[in-house]
Parts: sequence; C-alpha cells; structure tokens
Amino acid sequence: MSSPRASPRPREAILPYLLLSPGLLLLLGMLYPFGLGVYYSLTNYYLQYPHLFRFIWLGNYIKLLEDPLFAYSFKFTLAYAIVAVAVQVGLGLGVALLLNSRIKGRGALRAMMLMPLMMPPVITALMWKIMMASTKAGILNYLLSFVGVGPVNWLGAMNSAIASVFIIDTWGNLPFVSLILLGGLQSLPTEPYEAARVDGASAWGIFRYITLPLLKPFIILAATFRVMDSLRIFDVIYAATVGGPADATMSLHMRAFFFAFQWYQMGMGMAYAMVLLILVFLASYFLMGYWKRAAEQTTL
Amino acid sequence: MKNWMRSKLWAVAGLFLVLGVWICWAAVEASAAESDLAYYRQAKINWRQFEGQKLTIGLNKHQYTESLLPLIPEFEALTGVKVDYLILPENEYGAKLTADLSNQRGEFTVIMAGAMRNWAYVPPGWMVPLEQFLNDPKLTDRSWYKIEDFFPSLIAANRWNGKMGGGIGEGPLWSIPVMAESYILTYRKDIFDQYKIKVPKTYEELAEAARLVKKNAGIDGIVARGTPNFPTLATGYLTGIKSYTDGKWAELDEKMYAQFHDPRAVKFSKLWTDMLRESGPANWANMTWYDGMETFAAGLAGMYPDCDFFAQTYEDPQKSKVAGKVGYALLPPGPAGTTYSGVFTWALGMSTATKNKGAAWLFIQWATSPRTLLNATVEFKNYNPTRVSVMNDPRTQKVMGGWGNGMYLKTVQENLKTARIAWVPNPERPRMGDIWARALQEMYFKRLTPEEAMKRATDEVNKVFKDIGLQK
Amino acid sequence: MTTASVIGPTAWRWIRRALLGVGVTALVVWTVFPFFWILLTSLKQPLDVIAAPPKLLFEPTTQNYQAIFIGQKRGLYASTRPDFPNFFLNSIIISCGAVGLSFLAGVPASYALARYRFRFKEKLAFLFLSFRFAPFITFLIPLYILFQQLGLYNTYSGLILAYQLITLPFTVWMLRSFFMEIPSEVEEAARIDGCSWWGVLTKVILPLSLPGIAVTLILGFMFSWNAFNYPLMLAGRQTFPVTVGAIQFISYEQVLWGQMAAASLVAVVPQLILSLFVQKYIVRGLTMGAIR
Repeated sequence: MSSPRASPRPREAILPYLLLSPGLLLLLGMLYPFGLGVYYSLTNYYLQYPHLFRFIWLGNYIKLLEDPLFAYSFKFTLAYAIVAVAVQVGLGLGVALLLNSRIKGRGALRAMMLMPLMMPPVITALMWKIMMASTKAGILNYLLSFVGVGPVNWLGAMNSAIASVFIIDTWGNLPFVSLILLGGLQSLPTEPYEAARVDGASAWGIFRYITLPLLKPFIILAATFRVMDSLRIFDVIYAATVGGPADATMSLHMRAFFFAFQWYQMGMGMAYAMVLLILVFLASYFLMGYWKRAAEQTTL
Repeated sequence: MKNWMRSKLWAVAGLFLVLGVWICWAAVEASAAESDLAYYRQAKINWRQFEGQKLTIGLNKHQYTESLLPLIPEFEALTGVKVDYLILPENEYGAKLTADLSNQRGEFTVIMAGAMRNWAYVPPGWMVPLEQFLNDPKLTDRSWYKIEDFFPSLIAANRWNGKMGGGIGEGPLWSIPVMAESYILTYRKDIFDQYKIKVPKTYEELAEAARLVKKNAGIDGIVARGTPNFPTLATGYLTGIKSYTDGKWAELDEKMYAQFHDPRAVKFSKLWTDMLRESGPANWANMTWYDGMETFAAGLAGMYPDCDFFAQTYEDPQKSKVAGKVGYALLPPGPAGTTYSGVFTWALGMSTATKNKGAAWLFIQWATSPRTLLNATVEFKNYNPTRVSVMNDPRTQKVMGGWGNGMYLKTVQENLKTARIAWVPNPERPRMGDIWARALQEMYFKRLTPEEAMKRATDEVNKVFKDIGLQK
Repeated sequence: MTTASVIGPTAWRWIRRALLGVGVTALVVWTVFPFFWILLTSLKQPLDVIAAPPKLLFEPTTQNYQAIFIGQKRGLYASTRPDFPNFFLNSIIISCGAVGLSFLAGVPASYALARYRFRFKEKLAFLFLSFRFAPFITFLIPLYILFQQLGLYNTYSGLILAYQLITLPFTVWMLRSFFMEIPSEVEEAARIDGCSWWGVLTKVILPLSLPGIAVTLILGFMFSWNAFNYPLMLAGRQTFPVTVGAIQFISYEQVLWGQMAAASLVAVVPQLILSLFVQKYIVRGLTMGAIR
C-alpha cells in the first residue's frame, strides 16, 4: 500500500535529505544547549558557589546511585509510566471507538473531548488539588458523600496520592491518546471491512482481527509519546503533591528539578536528568522498533 | 456550504473577541493622576541625574508590589529613568532570580531579597551593600528619607557580616525592608469561649487544646503547613521548637554540624507531629500556607500557628467566615517563659550586575520612602509595615487595631520584642530545610521513629555541608 | 455466530444503545466536570470560593473577569493596567509561530521519512524523536544562558525556536504515520500524470491526510499554548504567555482563585475556537469509506 520507493532516480537521491534539512537544522541548533547540559552533569556546578566548579567526571552519577531516594524514584517513575500508559491507551481506545461510532452530536463530543488538553498542566493540577481537598471544602468528597463513600484523603496519604496524581494525569492526557487513535481509525482503509462484512464476521471478530492490527502503528505511536511524557511527569506532581507525601510521588524528574532549581545544584540535577533521558531513550528505542514492525505489517 | 459558513462565523467571532479584549485594555488609561511628585521633590537630591537610563526590576507577587505598579509612571516622570518590571509568585520568582544572578547578566537590577535570601545571594557577591548610597549626599537626602524611621530590629535583620552561622545585625546593609512578618497563634475565640478551652501556654497545652476543639466542635483542632519542603518549617514549627528549647537549641552548631538528633529537637518534633496526626487535618502532608489559611478562614480549623498578617484575610468578611471570631496570642513559650518567634522581612536589594547602580538606588529610595510605604500599607494592605511612622499612622492603627478588637496589635507588638531570625545563617537553607521537613513527614506517617528520622536528617545534612566545604 | 444472532438483533441494538449511552455520559461528566467547577469558581466571590461545604448555589459576580481585563481601581491612583490581554496575545503569536514553523519544517521531513528509502532513514527519524526525550530542565539553564548571549531572551523568535523542542518531534512523527497510510497507487497514478514530488505532495498527499494534519495541528497548538516551563525562564514580561500569566494570581498573602479560574477559562477560548474549526476535518478523506 505505501511502500517506500524502491529505486530512487539519481537526481532525486538527495531529495529526501533536502526535505529533511530544515527540520534537522532546527534540531541541530538544540545540540549545543543539550551538550552543555551533559557537560554540567559531569561537573560540580553549584549556581551559588562558582568557586567550587570542577570537572568531576562521573562523580555525580556515583553520588546519585548512593542517594537513598534514587532507587525508589527510579522504580516509581518506571512503574508509574508502564501502568499509566497501559491504562490510558486502553481507555483511549475505548473512547476513540466511541467517538467513531454513529452517535448524535459526534462533532460536539469530539470538540468537548479536546477540552482537558486546553488547560495548562499546572493549572489543571492546581484546580484538581482544590477539588481534592480532604476537608469539608473539597467538592469531590462532598459529592462522594451523597453516595455514601467516606471522605477520601486524596493527596494526604501516600498511596492515594499516587492514585490522585494518576487521575489528574489521565484526565489531562486521555484526549491526546483518544485523538490520535481516532485519527487512526478514520484513516483506515475500507476494503478489509467490506470483505469481512461479506464474509459475515462478527463485530468482535472484525475488531480483533482487522481494526486492532491495522491500528497498531497508531496505538504504538500514542503509547510512545505517552511513555516519553509519563516518564518525565512533572507539572502535575509539582503542583499537586510537591513530590510528597513522604516522597511517595518523587519521580526522577521531580528529584532532578529539586536539585537544579530548589537547591541550585546544577551538576546533580543534570545527572538525574541524564538518567531519566537514558530511560526515555531506551523505552522509545524499544517502542519504535515495535512501531516499525507494526507499520511494515500494515502496509501490505 | 452551511458548515463552511459556520466555521467562518466562529473564526470571525474569535477575532472579535480578541479585538474586544484589546480595546478594553487599551481603553484603560494609566493616567498620571494626582501627581504627588511635589512630595518627592522635597528631597534635596537631583532626581533626574540618571535621566535616560533603563532599569528592570524583578519582584515577587505581593501586596507591596501591587502598590508600586500604578506608581511606576510617576517614578519615570520624576527621574526620566525607564522602568520595566517582572512579577512572579514566590517560587517561580526565586528560580528565575537565581538563574539571572548566577549568570550576572543584570537582567534584574532591583530585586526582592530579605533576611534569609541574603544568605544565598551575598556570599557569591551578587548583592551590593547599600551604605555607599545611603551615605552619599548626592544620592540620598537622609533627613527626608529617614532611615531611622525603620524598626531597628528589621534593619538589623537585613544586615549581615557574611559569616555563616551567625553575624546577623552586623556588617553591611544589604536590603531595605518593606514588609515584616512574625508568627503567632491564631485561634477561634468563639469556640474557645464556648467550650471553655484555655489559650495554651505550653506546647503540651497546645496539643490538648487541639484535642478539645476537635472533640467538641467537630472540626480539625489545628492546621499547619505540611508539604515536604522547607517553607513548612519556617513559621509555627520553627517558632515552636526554638521557644520550646528556650532558644538554646539551634539546627546547626558553631562548627556547622547538624543537630536534629538532639533529644530536645526530637521530643518537640514528636509532639508536633503527634498533635497533627491526632487533631489535625487528614491531608496535613499536602497543606501549603494558603491551604491552612483558607481552611481557617472557612471556619474549619480551631487554630493556625502561622503568619500574623493573615489576619487581614481572617478579619475581612468578604474573604472569611470567621471575621470577628478570631483570637490572637503568642505562640507558647518554653519552660523559661519566653516565646522566640521567627521573623521575616521582604526587602529591596540591588544586584551587582546592575549597570545603572545610581538609578537603581534612586528607585529603592523612592520605593521605600515614607510616603510610598504609607501608601502601600494604607491603600494596598501591605502588612506588617516596616516604618514606625507608617505603623503609628492613625489609618493603620484603625485597621490593625480593629483586628481581634485590639488583640492583634497587642500580640504582635509583644511578639516583636523577642522575635528574631529563627534560622541559622547558612547558604543551604532550602536543601537543609527540605531534608528536615521530610523527616517530619517520615515521623508523621510512622515510617520511622522520631529518633531515626531526625538522626537520618542529621546525617544527610552533614553530608551536604561537607560536600560544599561548609563545615569547620 | 455473532452476538447479534444469539440474543436477537433488536435486543442487541438496545444493549448497544444503553452501553453507548452510559459510555458517553460517563465521558462527558468526567471531562466536563472540572471545567464546570472552574467556571463556578470564576464567578464566585472569595468567600464562596473557600466555603465548606462547597457551594453550588451562590450569588455570581463578574468581578473576577473585570479584574483581569480592566483592572481594579485602588484608592487615589489610576487603575493598574492589567497584563492579561497582553499575555493572551503573546500566547497566540507564540503558539501560531511554533506550530507554523514546525509544519514548515515538518511536512517535508515527514514526507521524506514516509516515502523515500535512503541511508540513515530510521536513525534520522529517531533523531527527530529524541529531542523529546530530555526533561525540560536539561535545556532550561543552558538555553537561558545561550539566549541571553544571543539576544534571544524575551523575544518571540527565541520562544518559537525553543518551542520546537515541544512541537517538532511530535509533528514529524504524527505526519509520518498519516502519510504512510496513503496507498502508493494513488501517488503513482499522480506521477504517471506528470506531477513532480511537489505536486504529489500538495495535490495528493496533503488533501488525503487531512484528518491526520488536523489532529497534528490542533494537538501541536495545544502543546504550545500550554507550555509553562520554557516561557517561565526564557520570556520576560513582554512575552509571557497566558500560562505564566495565570499563576501570577498566587500572591504572597492570598491566592486569587476566582481570577485564576477566570483567566484559565478565557485562555481556553482560542483553543476551543480552533478545535471547533478543525474537528470537522477529522473525518474521512476522499478514498476512505465508513468503518462499520
């Protein structure tokens, strides 16, 4: 269906590179600040103590591994990303299917679906934090009290804080997944469906053997972006729990932020950021391999 | 066809919205209303000596800052200096300010500093001592400016000799205070009266009072800050621990070694976290300063040991349900009978990277002159004022005197007699404070015993200080 | 045997309807309720904002909206000219610029990555993705220093360039996926008709991938609009977007929730308009039929 050109004509051999060049130029411009960040991670850079500045090779990374909080941070970041993305993609698929079906007000529903994305994550998290108050002023607990559910300590207890962060995160990002999958659903070819209908396949069968495989590239794409963003989750945690309670929600990005912008230890902050970056890199590399295979399978 | 029309209409509607907004904004003239330039021109200096220069000031969002903004065109008219400003909430302001100061690009010339912030900004040489400007007759008219009008303790809080571990009140003056806060106990007088609960005079009584409020009135007996970072400690807790130990315990000793593991500190911290666990809000671990303040103002808490000036919210019927029902008292003292409240000032300072130091000083002088500070307090509710004349002004006295029927003024004046900077000067206060606050949370959630939690905090802080060569 | 044939087509249709109904209702409530709450907050006076139990019925006021647009008169002095409308315009300029630049660079790049086979293709594609790996703090201080040196601090162009970190990888990969969905026969037919690569791109690929382009456009715009950390450091008062403007309601002695809510809601309007405009393009292309 969409196979890449087999043998490019000589004149056009450099065309793809030309097409890529503006984009690459922009990205190469970012290489310098990035390189600077890597450099800082190998130094003893305290914003406040310029006189202590020294190149210390992997000193920060060693300190990082010795940091008692690092192990938990690492595990929490990884586990959160896996669980959150799995749930969000699953729910997103359901929502996309819903928005794709022939129901009234489909257009309005789609526009409404986009709304959570229209709020900056910081504001979203602040508003949810207010809604999640455990005191009698919290609207969520107030509404829950009508169905007899006791007041929930949304952000004040360790486990529920993690769940609350997940809720806020999902509220803000489910539309993203749904929309990509909806776009994907909309662009699927019709021939397989017509053939299947002729063969008398069931709705579930069609979904499982036609829709799902054809949708795979989009599912993986959405999952990849969500994984990259979930691993780097920051705004929600910063506004809602500040890494607490008792470090329950201290993701790697939060820890890096604290070092860099709260305690002005650029060296350690960058080291944490680099570890996170490697994590994101590995996850994406893995997922992109998946994507390539899925994309090749769907292009018959 | 219809769809096409409809989307066009939407686009046009959007355009109108944007235009409408712009028009409203443009229609608001920043008219240089009543020109009080005459008052400023009384000063025997040449305000226009730096005409044509440019200043960028960076301030944090605050009542005082609000009061300055409409007056900036006046300053520009007075001096011919162009002023640009940037305002951010405290946390974001701190990050951006530090980045700029460290980079020494002079983006921020006049900055909001203050006692504790100076400890971070002075050692690297980012701030300019202000005596040189104060003592220069070409730049300052001392008889008009009246620096002696400032409360001496507040000026002292902004002096520092640069030595870690002490030296407050000595050395150069780094910033001019514009607002002061101390920490007191605000409580629900109506509940206390109704259930005959005594105003606590010890910290054990404080816990008991919280228990009684919770039992009798069904609301949280006490609220306090609880997020796992250093602002949590700065107010009620720090005042409490210093008072409880009669001012004899400090978080760092003379050699800059951490002292959290000290049994006195452990005992108080245990008392504090037990009290909050038993009679405090369910989400203590998530409470910021405004959560506590709003909870108290909504009538959902019996006590809030925190900033004194929150009273302006509590006593405003438009913002609080407990207006007129609030009592103000000193936080309990220790066994020796004295309360050692912490104190904090916001103050204007100058960045070393400033190219137009003279112009910057003129701005600071103008912004902290008696008339400007009076306006900030009377019109813009900047409490607590830092000038004696502003404090004694009948309008100020009328407003502040009305709070708690005079109880507020009495308490705060009493408090300020023994209030002092509660922290030990050190440049790693945020880091140290975050570790300390986390120890409290570990205690609160019973993940560690109080002894273990504090010992761990000591070890961690010592390690941090060792890394930067702070320990002797 | 399909489910329908087992329980009867009518019953199945009713069950489906019920499930759909429940699903849609749940979705709507879940998505809209926080907005509803923010709207209520923006119409409340300070006392009502902190009230407990929370008030669903109260006397509404427009003072929050007035405050952010017109400012409040204080004492003897003139109104403070509010910055909010300025922030609003900044957001529009920066977001449109960022997405525009990403599309300018991204469309050719995605086309190349989707259609052509050449050395380093996958590595280059991955490179585009990789700039979304780094946590923002990796870039923030170096960019801040660099921008100050280059004079890009507090400029629209600087911000638009910095925002490419947010929008470009996303744009390239999204467009690439959608471009790859288009059957090559359509493209080859166009070539046979004598179109150059540019003609194929503009006359065939772009129109057919309209749903994908619409999705990428709207999502990219929203990501730009809602960026917070980059403009916090790299912009000054003249170029702050609404995201940084909205947190300014956190003052030192109180938080103006009502005004923050009002500002946040007003900031949603352009995105809402754009999405209403764009969502009708998220429909079938020319050769696609309906999915059952």
